[in-house]
Amino acid sequence: MKLFFACLAVFTTLTLNGQIAAQAEPIAIEHERGTLTLDQPARRVAVTNWAFTETLIELGLDPVAIADPEDYRDWVEKPDLPESFVDIGQRGSPNMEALRTAKPDLILISQELDMAYESLSKIAPVMVLSVYDDHKSAFDAAADMLRKVARATGRETEGEAYLAHVDEKLAEYGIRIRNALGPGQEITVASFYSESNIGVFGSPSLPGSVLKRMGVPMAYDGPVSKWGFAQGGLEILAPLAKSTLVYTNPVPDVIHQKVWSSPIWNVMDFVRNKRVYELPVVWAYGGVPSGLRFALLLTESLEAGPVK
Amino acid sequence: MISKSPRTPTILVCILGILTLAVLIRDFWPFLQNGTLVQAAFTPDETDFTQILFHYSTLPRLSMAFLCGAGLALAGAAIQTVLRNPLASPTTLGVGAGVEFALTAFLLMAPASMALFQEAFALAGGLVAIGAVYLIAAKRGNATLWLILAGMIVNLLLQAGSQILLLFNEQYLQSVFMWGAGDLAQNGWESAQFVLPRVLIGMAAILLLSRPLDLLALGDETASSLGARVTALRLLILGFAVFITASVISAAGMIGFVGLAVPAALRIAGLTRSRDLMICSVFTGGFALLVIDFIVRQFNGLGGDTLPTGAATALFGAPFIILILRKARIMPGSQSEEHHSDQQIISKTRLSIILCATLTIGLVFSLFVSFDGNDLVLLGPSDARLDILLGRAERTFAAMICGAALAVSGTLIQRVGRNPLASPEITGVSSATALAMIVALAIFGFGQRAELMMIGAAGGIASLFLLLFLCRKFTHAPHYMLLNGLALTAILGAIVRIVLTRSGTQTTMLMSWLAGTTYFTNMDEVMIVAGVTGVLLTVAIALRRPLELASLGTDQSVSLGLGISAFQFFMMLLAAVLAASATLLVGPLSFVGLMAPHLARVAGYRLAGEHLLGALLIGVNVMMVAEWLARNLLYPQQLPTGLIAAVIGTSYFLILSIRRPR
Repeated sequence: MKLFFACLAVFTTLTLNGQIAAQAEPIAIEHERGTLTLDQPARRVAVTNWAFTETLIELGLDPVAIADPEDYRDWVEKPDLPESFVDIGQRGSPNMEALRTAKPDLILISQELDMAYESLSKIAPVMVLSVYDDHKSAFDAAADMLRKVARATGRETEGEAYLAHVDEKLAEYGIRIRNALGPGQEITVASFYSESNIGVFGSPSLPGSVLKRMGVPMAYDGPVSKWGFAQGGLEILAPLAKSTLVYTNPVPDVIHQKVWSSPIWNVMDFVRNKRVYELPVVWAYGGVPSGLRFALLLTESLEAGPVK
Repeated sequence: MISKSPRTPTILVCILGILTLAVLIRDFWPFLQNGTLVQAAFTPDETDFTQILFHYSTLPRLSMAFLCGAGLALAGAAIQTVLRNPLASPTTLGVGAGVEFALTAFLLMAPASMALFQEAFALAGGLVAIGAVYLIAAKRGNATLWLILAGMIVNLLLQAGSQILLLFNEQYLQSVFMWGAGDLAQNGWESAQFVLPRVLIGMAAILLLSRPLDLLALGDETASSLGARVTALRLLILGFAVFITASVISAAGMIGFVGLAVPAALRIAGLTRSRDLMICSVFTGGFALLVIDFIVRQFNGLGGDTLPTGAATALFGAPFIILILRKARIMPGSQSEEHHSDQQIISKTRLSIILCATLTIGLVFSLFVSFDGNDLVLLGPSDARLDILLGRAERTFAAMICGAALAVSGTLIQRVGRNPLASPEITGVSSATALAMIVALAIFGFGQRAELMMIGAAGGIASLFLLLFLCRKFTHAPHYMLLNGLALTAILGAIVRIVLTRSGTQTTMLMSWLAGTTYFTNMDEVMIVAGVTGVLLTVAIALRRPLELASLGTDQSVSLGLGISAFQFFMMLLAAVLAASATLLVGPLSFVGLMAPHLARVAGYRLAGEHLLGALLIGVNVMMVAEWLARNLLYPQQLPTGLIAAVIGTSYFLILSIRRPR
């Protein structure tokens, strides 16, 4: 029965593509642990981090097993999680037995779980794809990841269509953002981890690489950590004070209040001249969907005006 | 007053004072040059960013560094005097970890409406921690040593607890973790305004009470004969010391070792009167932290990251402790006392039978029964049944083998070191193993577990060599080994914190592994560790006669013509290899290496051979239970096995100390 549906699905996809010749070919995909060969596209996919979760949902396939679904609703928000799935616990150590009950035919992990590769492989084929790795552009890596996931699930058409849609949207948002910013203005994207520990996103990060793709100039050009951001006290923003500041959410109330009452903060050029904008919740360590969402929210935020 | 005291402390204060002056001049220089110092310091020009930064960041940071250093050093001096223990301090007695745990829990869980109670919560955390330490250590002979070891146990447990909280709240990792590592960066005068009155109140109270403290220092009998209400006074002073510590940590996070190193150094330099000691501590501590913070600031921004002052301070402070140890006057106490005074909780045969029975039943239960969040589920027949069993067996065996390896390792260390409280966790061998692996993984990018295992073992053995080098005379004074171990553990802990704040991608995995998880193990590794444990256990049992002699004490053994040093050395090497193998599977702290041999001896397994086997049985059982709980308690979330075992271990010592008759 399962086989029948799988064949049907493959057939439908191939007819759409008009590539009948490739029918018998198994799918081979390069990933960080070599080449994964699937006889048929994966249907029941388990996801161990939110970049995979959102990417798969955008591709139109509901994951059968999801890690940390509760926190996903707080930190990623969109796209909505499917109605039913198996909760497999923490992203750092997905529960093997729970995972097994979901009967996946493909498990997606990033290099953080590389050490569990062998154990996970006993449950289902595993693909290791990392978006955040050594200063490579997060958006390009995320698009690459999306293409591979699309191939593995037989949704290449949907994948390419989605990426084309993203490109089109990013171009549109880019124009709107540049218009809202005005000439010569650069953007700084920051997160308030605490009142004295601020993260500034650099060009390899997801926000940074999306801005670059939209052709929006970014002010910060210094060293960054593996995840693409730099950390420091409020003074890290001082050299960027001439730019427009956009900060991510959620920011705990206590930290918000402390930052806003700080004299150092209040003397910054972007505070004095009202160029501080706020982004609603968006996952800065996600995949292409989070990148697009960041661009959309940034556009809306800039058009809606600065925070008071 | 100070003029009457020996010269060395005065010189120390002067040197630090000069260094502080140098730091101030360095920070003030740009403003001194253009003559705007007074303006920048008091009424900064709102349009000049350098002045704003100076007024609202540099100056408060300098003040905070001084205040925190002074407060912690004074708290340390007070605790050391009250407990008459040169190694007691806010950090060694668990106060710091208690406050940190309470605050982490508060920040992550408490609703905003509770914000007012944050301070009370932090204070309560500190008091509970020091209370637990006191409870474990009270009523024991050689209280000096017990207090420090109890502090270490509570410390490690609370730190693990804080890490667990963070593991389940990964998104807040950045903020809480940075704060936990002790960050002195300032954005205004708020924190300084928070700390100043509290430290002043605490200082005034402690200094007022410092006259009776001198009586306390003479010993309980003298003090009570002089009419002081000893207990009330002690508690009052301890309370104020905890209050200062809680305030400082609330505002600046964990700042290690100032509270220990400063007063201890001053005491060794010759300051014995408590009032002098305290006044000196205030200045020395303040100046020292200010200078250290200045050095740390120079490293900020490297590779886009900040360096937390607190963790770095431990790096400066801990080696100092090792130096201090060489001069400290610690009452050696009698090690053998434990052997005689332990009451038998349960008979040896009965315990053996019970242990074997629980082992068998437990094993079957672990493999076939799980908890799915609502009910206990018996593993039913399905296609995946064998795979599921295999998965469970892998992790259960990993935990059990670890229990065995740690129990044997602990027994060897306790026997050879002739100290009932030595263990791989406490001598720093486990931490060194963990550190070697973390550095290899996070900085050099070794990903293969086999490689990591070798590196970890090398780290463990290296730390053991270092330990043996530091305590060349450890056969005469086993507690020196423990105290050096304490310093070693602290240094390693600090490095781990710094690595973790910088290691981005793998932080979560590293943290769950640090707390001890069997999640990443595979059968091959379990088999290797089982093989190593089996072989080394056989060797140890074959050598049970000389081991017996070694635990009798050097004098007897030497008179019996035994080459004791080489043999002890060999045994310690075995212990280190075992601890390193176990650390890979279950992380650096589980307390099984401490608890199992201790319980075995209390239960009556006195001879070396049976002691080894008894400890092994207990260790295996404890880890088996811990593993099942870890996998099922919060299904589908998984807790680190090491943490559960640590909870069992610390509860054991708490229960033991409560049961113990006076």
